[in-house]
Amino acid sequence: MPKSINPDIVERLNRVFQDVFDDPDIQINNETTAEDIELWDSLNHINLVLAVEKEFGIKLNAPEVAKLENVGAMLQVIADRAPINNK
Amino acid sequence: MVKFSEPVSPAEHKRDVFEEVRELAASGNVAEAFAILRTKATPEVDFVEQSRLVRLLHRLDRKTLNLTPLRIAFLATSTVAHFSEVLWLWLALDGFDTTFYSAGFDTIEQTVIDPSSDLYDFKPDIVWLFTGYRDVHISVAPGMSTADVNEAVQSAVYHRVRLWETLQSRTSATILQNNADLPEEQIFGNFEGSSSWGQTNVLRRFNVALADAVVAGVTIFDLDQVAATFGRRQWFDSRYWFHSKHAFAFDAYGLVAHRASRLIASVKGRARKCIVLDLDNTLWGGVIGDDGIEGIRLGGDAEGEAYVAFQEYLKSLKTRGILLAVCSKNEESAAREPFLKHSEMRLSLDDLVVFQANWNNKADNIVNIARILNIGVDSLVFVDDNPVERDFVRRSLPDITVVELPTDPAGYVASLDKERLFETISFSAEDQIRSQMYQENTRREEFSQQFSDLSVYLQSLEMIATVGDLDAVHLKRMQQLISKSNQFHLTGVRLSEADLLQLAKRSDTDIKYFKLSDRFGDNGLIAVLVLQEREKALHIDTWVMSCRVLSRGMEDFIIDELCRLALHRGCQSIIGKYIPTRKNTLVAKLYEQLGFEAIASESDGSITWRFNDLEGRLARVNHYITRQENDRDEGTTVCQKA
Repeated sequence: MPKSINPDIVERLNRVFQDVFDDPDIQINNETTAEDIELWDSLNHINLVLAVEKEFGIKLNAPEVAKLENVGAMLQVIADRAPINNK
Repeated sequence: MVKFSEPVSPAEHKRDVFEEVRELAASGNVAEAFAILRTKATPEVDFVEQSRLVRLLHRLDRKTLNLTPLRIAFLATSTVAHFSEVLWLWLALDGFDTTFYSAGFDTIEQTVIDPSSDLYDFKPDIVWLFTGYRDVHISVAPGMSTADVNEAVQSAVYHRVRLWETLQSRTSATILQNNADLPEEQIFGNFEGSSSWGQTNVLRRFNVALADAVVAGVTIFDLDQVAATFGRRQWFDSRYWFHSKHAFAFDAYGLVAHRASRLIASVKGRARKCIVLDLDNTLWGGVIGDDGIEGIRLGGDAEGEAYVAFQEYLKSLKTRGILLAVCSKNEESAAREPFLKHSEMRLSLDDLVVFQANWNNKADNIVNIARILNIGVDSLVFVDDNPVERDFVRRSLPDITVVELPTDPAGYVASLDKERLFETISFSAEDQIRSQMYQENTRREEFSQQFSDLSVYLQSLEMIATVGDLDAVHLKRMQQLISKSNQFHLTGVRLSEADLLQLAKRSDTDIKYFKLSDRFGDNGLIAVLVLQEREKALHIDTWVMSCRVLSRGMEDFIIDELCRLALHRGCQSIIGKYIPTRKNTLVAKLYEQLGFEAIASESDGSITWRFNDLEGRLARVNHYITRQENDRDEGTTVCQKA
């Protein structure tokens, strides 16, 4: 994980993944990509992004949405966009 | 998030529904899990919550729920993949197992015009032209004359009408057409609403002209109204339009899907027919038995005005054909007193088809109301301010719809209205006088008690039946009867207006309606039969009849009529089929009672019946009902026989 990222965020993001992909066994890490999660297709990508937006109280712009192809990038965007959550 | 007053906060909603349903689903209790999902799901929660409900429903083994298969084809100019998931959820909660087809993005014209397109192979029940304001191309220059604006609008409407016509020539699906959701931005500001050529008014004109152009089998889905309800500023979400061509905000999907589902359910014959009302603290403030006529709160102050407004809303529903019944724990005389004496009452005893005030439990009373009206418990809506009664009724009668009321009566109208329980795709003369017809029935029942001999009673009713062929005047009512009849429906087949028009064109087919009136009033159009000649026999492919006229000899009258028709066509017999559905056991023995003999049966319980003695029957005909030909001036023939 990038050192500036609060482990709390990782835990919350992991719960979002478990919820969206309906699988309590999912454990994400920085390198997790759509390749690793069978149901992570373009349809579910939008579900995932919307759930992330809601969980962290942020609104992402179109380029940011497109950039979120792996968990590391996602954590970075969350940390940048939601400083309040990154205590 | 939408700002609706929620009975539960989203967080509680999550905990309640998700954990409870998951546990029940895991223990195999699918029906109960589904029932909870149904009560707790609300259209107002955001998309993330809607998606969680979708996933929850995916976990249930839905095979045991007896959902009705439904096929919906989307022809869209935007991405509908996420929306269709939410619509799937809401249709399931309304009793349907939906399969979707979605034409390639923005290929509406090609898909409709190509006779070999996948759309037609899919055989949809519903084709939804899922468009929005971006698809209305009307070029209007500022300052253009009103006449020129109207011409431009008409040509845009004509474009849609041509698509409907092509669709209707190739499929009998019901067509839903979105109108234009008016955008929030206005180049001319407020002046857009003040000039005939402003974009806002041009789209308003388009929406009105589109509604004017609607033909049988096409229904406008009022997207603009949903957008306004949701809130225009939230409705348009440019981010996801630019990103992935989602036409409106994800968080509006629940609301759109809920509205659409209720509309589609009504297309498929799942209409509610009657509201069962509590009295104390529902129609007026206070308890009549304790507070007396002077003490109840109705009119006068803010609280009293809210009850008056609720009564006015109910009265409007009654006027459009929804039945009202009372079910109250009260002494009958006390319960009737406000109706007779209170000057602020908007509902009168004449507005009610059944009045039950007693101390029995409400579930029993409701079953009794359903029996008196001869309608299913699933077509009843229960309205009561008391959450304990609501819970009891919901648990005792899972098929009934129970409306959640807030504690403040000012919210009663909105709470009932937002459920959209009384959707319809047509309005007929029968709707306007339905309540009156049910009341006449009550008087007939009282009258019949004077007679010990049924035939003397029937004779004294002085019944007159009118027989006619499908025509433009009666088409809507005939289709409505076919789609709403559940109990007296021999085959359970639903036919759209388009189906009926197609069938009526065939020379081997007759579509007949029957009306009945008597000394107490007009029962209206009460039976429809679709008859087809095949191999020297007249086949009754569809027979529906209103339960209002049961046991009055109408069934015999209809068979006499069919004998005449069969002989006229040179047929040797009449063949009818009974296909069991969940609700039509009432007519399981009908053909047997009418003297038919069973000639075949199938594993699903279907039985085919035949009647041979056509001439013999007509020779013996002896009826309580006088026959009258349909009045030719009344209707115009809609289709020429091939």
